[in-house]
Amino acid sequence: MSPDAEREHANFERFARGEPIAVEVGEIERELGALWKRASSAGDTHAGAAVSRAALWNLVIPARGAGALAKTKALVDEIAQGVPVRAITLCLDDPSDVGAGAGGDGLVATIESNVVSQPGGARVVYSEEITLRGPVAAETHFGALVRALQIPGVPTAALWTDATMPSALLTHELLPVTDRLIVDTGSCVRPPHLFDLQRLAAHAHPLPVADLGWLRLGSLRLLFAGLFDPPVGGAPLHRATRLTVRHRPGGDLSALLLVAWLGQMLGWRPLRSAQTSDGGLRFDFARGDGAAGGIEAFLLPSDGACDATGVLAIELADRGRDEYIVCRTAIDQASVQLPIAPAKAVKLDASSDAELCVAALGPRGRDPLFAKCLAYAGGLWALEPQTTGSRR
Amino acid sequence: MKTLSEESLLLPNPLREGLVEERIPEPAAMVIFGASGDLTRRKLLPALYSLTRDRLLPARFAVLGFGRQVLSDEAFREEMRHGCEEFARRRPVDPALWAAFARNVFYQQGAYDDPAAFRRLKVRLEEIEHTLGLPGNRVFYLSTPPSTFAPVIRSLGHANLAPKPAPGQPFSRVIIEKPFGIDLQTARALNTEVHDILDEQQIYRIDHYLGKETVQNLLVFRFANGIFEPLWNNHFVDHVQITGAETVGVEARGGYFEQAGSMRDMVQNHLLQVLSLAAMEPPVAFEADAVRDEKLKVLKALRFIPVSDFEQQVVRAQYAAGSIGGKTVPGYLSEPDVSPRSTTETFVALKLFIDSWRWAGVPFYLRSGKRMPKRVTEIAIQFKEAPHLLFGKRGETIRPNVLSIRIQPDEGIALNFGSKLPGPAMEIAPVSMEFRYGSSFGVEPPEAYERLLLDCLLGDGTLFTRADEVEASWSWVSRIHQRWAEQVAAGRTTLDSYPAGSWGPDAADRMLAADGRAWRLP
Ligand SMILES: NC(=O)c1ccc[n+]([C@@H]2O[C@H](COP(=O)([O-])OP(=O)(O)OC[C@H]3O[C@@H](n4cnc5c(N)ncnc54)[C@H](OP(=O)(O)O)[C@@H]3O)[C@@H](O)[C@H]2O)c1
Repeated sequence: MSPDAEREHANFERFARGEPIAVEVGEIERELGALWKRASSAGDTHAGAAVSRAALWNLVIPARGAGALAKTKALVDEIAQGVPVRAITLCLDDPSDVGAGAGGDGLVATIESNVVSQPGGARVVYSEEITLRGPVAAETHFGALVRALQIPGVPTAALWTDATMPSALLTHELLPVTDRLIVDTGSCVRPPHLFDLQRLAAHAHPLPVADLGWLRLGSLRLLFAGLFDPPVGGAPLHRATRLTVRHRPGGDLSALLLVAWLGQMLGWRPLRSAQTSDGGLRFDFARGDGAAGGIEAFLLPSDGACDATGVLAIELADRGRDEYIVCRTAIDQASVQLPIAPAKAVKLDASSDAELCVAALGPRGRDPLFAKCLAYAGGLWALEPQTTGSRR
Repeated sequence: MKTLSEESLLLPNPLREGLVEERIPEPAAMVIFGASGDLTRRKLLPALYSLTRDRLLPARFAVLGFGRQVLSDEAFREEMRHGCEEFARRRPVDPALWAAFARNVFYQQGAYDDPAAFRRLKVRLEEIEHTLGLPGNRVFYLSTPPSTFAPVIRSLGHANLAPKPAPGQPFSRVIIEKPFGIDLQTARALNTEVHDILDEQQIYRIDHYLGKETVQNLLVFRFANGIFEPLWNNHFVDHVQITGAETVGVEARGGYFEQAGSMRDMVQNHLLQVLSLAAMEPPVAFEADAVRDEKLKVLKALRFIPVSDFEQQVVRAQYAAGSIGGKTVPGYLSEPDVSPRSTTETFVALKLFIDSWRWAGVPFYLRSGKRMPKRVTEIAIQFKEAPHLLFGKRGETIRPNVLSIRIQPDEGIALNFGSKLPGPAMEIAPVSMEFRYGSSFGVEPPEAYERLLLDCLLGDGTLFTRADEVEASWSWVSRIHQRWAEQVAAGRTTLDSYPAGSWGPDAADRMLAADGRAWRLP
């Protein structure tokens, strides 16, 4: 075998195993094309399974630093099991990383395959992952590279969860070629980040914006909504006087989104906010229909086992003091309490971030309610607090 | 615990708005008649479990199995757990999820025509609903042999278990398994019995083929893409072939099959349903009645096969001994519970016409058989040749374009067309452009029963067969049975034979050859 043929063979073996192969930035498509061609003619080396190269989305993921890159790669591997995507990871070196700048001033590129196996081991779908890594200055090349690497005829989503990335990359370079923006309110460590996301979402308009945080809250929202199905019906919601969302410290954004969801759906008009003596927040609302008697909503930091949402319980009381509660009893368990039936234990499935990303690429990623609730939550946060001491 | 006020019953749940994407039904109980049977264990409970796993069922949901066998709740749950472990799409079974699911699975013993048993069933159901805070929404699944359909529905009526729909009241729906009647007369009689008790909108006649992703995709393919529909007519389509082939013989169901034959078992329901979806006009909306109205028009436009052309348009046959998958298998007449003088067909091939503007002159060839070389169901649309054979001298390599829609297994769509072979000569070779569900979406589609159970809970009857559709298809099929009966009475039975492991009798090939066509290899 000639050295070239040997190198090609070794590259193909690595590709088939899903390992990264370093390629010239300008040669990515050509190298991928050659590897796929080889893979499709080497079907019998893979238990006879035909090789399909598939992509339903181009998924662009910016990240900064080696740690974020490793996490992104693990995420992409898992996403590929749920939906075939061409993942394009754009990584800027973090000056604090060991070995940063090893690539000099330029960009380095790697390509790899993601394999989905059928039960029994036969491989069925290969999708591909392209990683571009470079120093901070390389950011200026990312826009053009993404445009060159997008598979035509397939929609593009940008997964924007790293708040340290320069937002100009998104707004100037990526949004113009993107069909869906995916963010994660769960990664906002401080509430003001919510405003940043709100601004981004407004900027992205009319693109659909999917939020992993919102999707993470999906099973809780569903469970809570289910309390008011027949035979209970919607009456207690219209008669609500008090809403309490208990959350772990740090989960206040998820809690705020839940209050915003109920406020939005039930037409509550925000009046004022205040800090409570136990470190929580209180919001007062007027009823949308102008009926007498307002609603007070509390966000209360509490302790307890919890998943990434940080939400422990949603409790609603109505004028008759009846209580409607969904309350977490373990990370994956909740208790559902209604005045008309004994408490019931239900399993709460926590989805991994990759599963949420797959959902975000599906119809659930087009939920128009999210943008409305995000705007409503922003409005709640912007209310001037009544007590001294700013919460910002 | 509180009881409910009248007022609260009437107000809709505002939080459901905005959760539409999730398609989660309202809390409900599902009663399964024939719960000790094969279908419950292999399909129904595994489907309900997988739906639970995918969070598509409401948190408040109960299953109550009913049958003549004596079983405790525990024994029934155990049996169902085994079923799920073996057959659920979402495997392995998650122990915590199963525990929560199984807590709401119950069993009640009783006979299908015993009023007292149904009174007990009602009491038990109400107890369960009260304990779990269910609103009284009910789905009754008739997973019993067809002889029990009418008695069960009568019993439901006597016990007032399935009241007619009324605004603001919980729903009661009934899913009826196939076969729905054995001819036009019995189907009509069953419809009459059923309509005595239930409104048509409460009835969900199941044909699991319609729950298959590719069958639904046929509508998307035709009506969501601009490029195919303009070609979908007699100007461009030469003919259509629909194949439903099985490798299995009659297995342990010889007794049933003797009465049914391929015509009743496959053609009257599955293949005619698939045909009507492939041939129908665009419905005004993707809604139950709009879609079913268009399917019905196709079934009503099926031309009755005239006696003079019967031999040319209908072929029936029985499998003889042969080989399947490297194993020798017996012929139909040697199968258990099959009469050695049986004239029941295990294969049928038909040439039929749809008398409509769109399909005038386009033959539809249908075939269905047991003990075929492979299990495959597909629709193949064969287009006419290009009007001018520019590459005529190389005509032997030019094949007509075929669009094949594979319903099972490996659900997908392929388009065959001619392409120039690389090289200096103008040689043309057929190539295929394929889309496969498993490959393109990376996930296998959900089981048909999952989709259909969910649709019924959501009150969506689009993928279920309406009374008039069933009668229209029986009306067409019964004429063929009638002709066969006349032939038997006259001692002129035309029943061919084919070796197991072949694509059917020569007569089926001759049927197409007479038109200058051939069956495709599916
Ligand atoms: N299995 C399939 O894949 C499949 C596919 C398509 C359609 N279907 C239809 O679905 C229905 C159920 O199918 P299955 O395979 O579960 O049927 P099965 O096993 O033969 O019968 C289901 C149950 O019905 C009860 N039953 C009531 N009257 C009966 C009678 N006279 N003879 C035998 N059993 C009687 C039995 O339970 P108890 O003795 O406890 O009452 C039995 O366990 C049938 O209508 C069938 O045609 C089945």
